[in-house]
Amino acid sequence: MLLKLEEVTKRFGGLVAVNSVSLEIDEGEKVGIVGPNGSGKTTLYNVISGVYAPDGGRIFFEGKEITNLPAHERTKLGIARTFQVPRPFGSATVRENVAIGAMFGRANAGVDEALEMADRYLEMVGIYELREKEAKLLTPLEKKLMELARALAMKPKLLLLDELLAGMNPQDINRILDLINKVKEEENIATIAMVEHLMHAITKFAERVVVMHQGSKLIEGPTMEVLNHPKVVEVYLGEKLKIG
Amino acid sequence: MRNYTPLVTLLLIYAVMIAIGQGIQGMWQPIMLVIFYIAVGQALNIFLGMTGYVNFGYVALLGVGAYGMAVALGYYTDLGLIPALTLGFILAILLAFIVSMVVGGIALRLRGAYFAIATIGVNEGIKYLILGGKIWGGSSGIVLSGILRKAYGAETMRFLSTVFADAGLIVVAILSGVITMYILNSRLGYGLIALREDEDAAKVMGINVRRYKQIAFVISCILAGLIGATAWTLKLTYVFPQDVFAINYTVEAIVIVMLGGAGTLLGPVVGGLIYALLKYYLTIAFPGMQLLILAPLLIIVILLFPEGVVGYLAKAARGTRFEKFVR
Ligand SMILES: Nc1ncnc2c1ncn2[C@@H]1O[C@H](COP(=O)(O)OP(=O)(O)OP(=O)(O)O)[C@@H](O)[C@H]1O
Ligand SMILES: [Mg+2]
Repeated sequence: MLLKLEEVTKRFGGLVAVNSVSLEIDEGEKVGIVGPNGSGKTTLYNVISGVYAPDGGRIFFEGKEITNLPAHERTKLGIARTFQVPRPFGSATVRENVAIGAMFGRANAGVDEALEMADRYLEMVGIYELREKEAKLLTPLEKKLMELARALAMKPKLLLLDELLAGMNPQDINRILDLINKVKEEENIATIAMVEHLMHAITKFAERVVVMHQGSKLIEGPTMEVLNHPKVVEVYLGEKLKIG
Repeated sequence: MRNYTPLVTLLLIYAVMIAIGQGIQGMWQPIMLVIFYIAVGQALNIFLGMTGYVNFGYVALLGVGAYGMAVALGYYTDLGLIPALTLGFILAILLAFIVSMVVGGIALRLRGAYFAIATIGVNEGIKYLILGGKIWGGSSGIVLSGILRKAYGAETMRFLSTVFADAGLIVVAILSGVITMYILNSRLGYGLIALREDEDAAKVMGINVRRYKQIAFVISCILAGLIGATAWTLKLTYVFPQDVFAINYTVEAIVIVMLGGAGTLLGPVVGGLIYALLKYYLTIAFPGMQLLILAPLLIIVILLFPEGVVGYLAKAARGTRFEKFVR
């Protein structure tokens, strides 16, 4: 087992953003995480990646407890993520941004090697020609692609994608999904979790789905089974359920 | 990839400055003033420019460095000239190291503006410790001229306070530039730029931000200590707490870094040149009024070049053959 959450809770004042969630992700899995707005998906990522310490519960990575480990040490162990709202290092170039991932992620590359890796991953996500540009000058879509390249360059064991595909057109979505699948095989990224609202992307990508609702895990299981479950349909009632 | 070529530009500027200072009558003192401000900017830049954190206690590090050298020369004169000087540099480095480890260890837990506020007290704290505790001569400071003349002779003392002090400061200034260039090309530099841009994202990218900030802080502070030891103690042959813990130097250093371009190699050089020359000649032309004229001029430069003069030039040079010489 790669990642294991035991009754993890995260509160913001009186608001319970993540409520006693237990979750296991195996090595090699492709997991989709869905749920309405505000159901706690991003907070769950923040707790896993170490942005927030949980208020309760325990987190294990490769069998080792990481509940109180600082974020940078978790990253070294092989956890990488993208941000729902991209967070580029604005004044650095696109290439430098990706190189920073390669240097300080699990890849732990030296400067020269990291810059070479950056070029390779930028080529892969399709924004190589932007490499000398200041990251803050990118469009939102380009920033997302840069974040993907940066996360991949870290050579993680667990890759957490937070609404990476939101705002992309169908061709881009398919291209990125194919890319992620390809990289997963070739680069040996053990496991990918994907938070998405785009149900057709989830159905295309995920083997297993976890549904979040008001901070709690509502249900989990094989993708199609879960997405057609009456409880899930009920939660999404009133929301546009976009099965492509 | 890694690019050390901007060092060529840096050394060229120093060569020109030294040639002007040596070649033209009356230019050596203004040139040394410029180099002092460049050095002060260059050392601060390693912390302020690379991390975005403002160290309002900066001048205290020049102060403790100055005291390190003064204590060695004043109290350990009998060791002989070379050993006492060596001890002076060691003490300057050691005191700056200790102060920066303690201050950094505590204050760098705080973010941004809170760090800046926490460091305001450092300078006053050390000053009043020396004054109140009557340490190292208390308010009467350490006056070296008599001691040095008696121990080593007038000739040696003059050599120390002119040639040696100036050469020492130039070496420290250039060394600060070389270290900056090395950092910019290293993992440390990439990590610092990342945390300057977005500290939380930097953590998630695997950067130990506390450690990186601390390293930059300590390097910056030790270089500041060496500036105090050379430009103040050796050059002036006295140290008074009121002089060396004067907050205006901190403010001047910050202005130089912002003026020239934070986080660049050549920024403090250009910033120091602009600032020192304006200040020097405005003081001569409009004695007593210099600040009134200097302040608006500086504001205009900063408004014209929000990323500093070198920040602007580096962008303008992109894609031209000058690109690799500017950073
Ligand atoms: N830093 C914070 N401070 C206070 N409240 C927060 C914070 N971060 C998240 N929340 C709250 O926690 C709840 C869960 O938010 P979260 O961002 O995890 O949801 P989400 O499932 O990612 O939603 P979305 O699909 O809109 O991205 C929301 O009510 C949100 O307002
Ligand atoms: Mg979210």
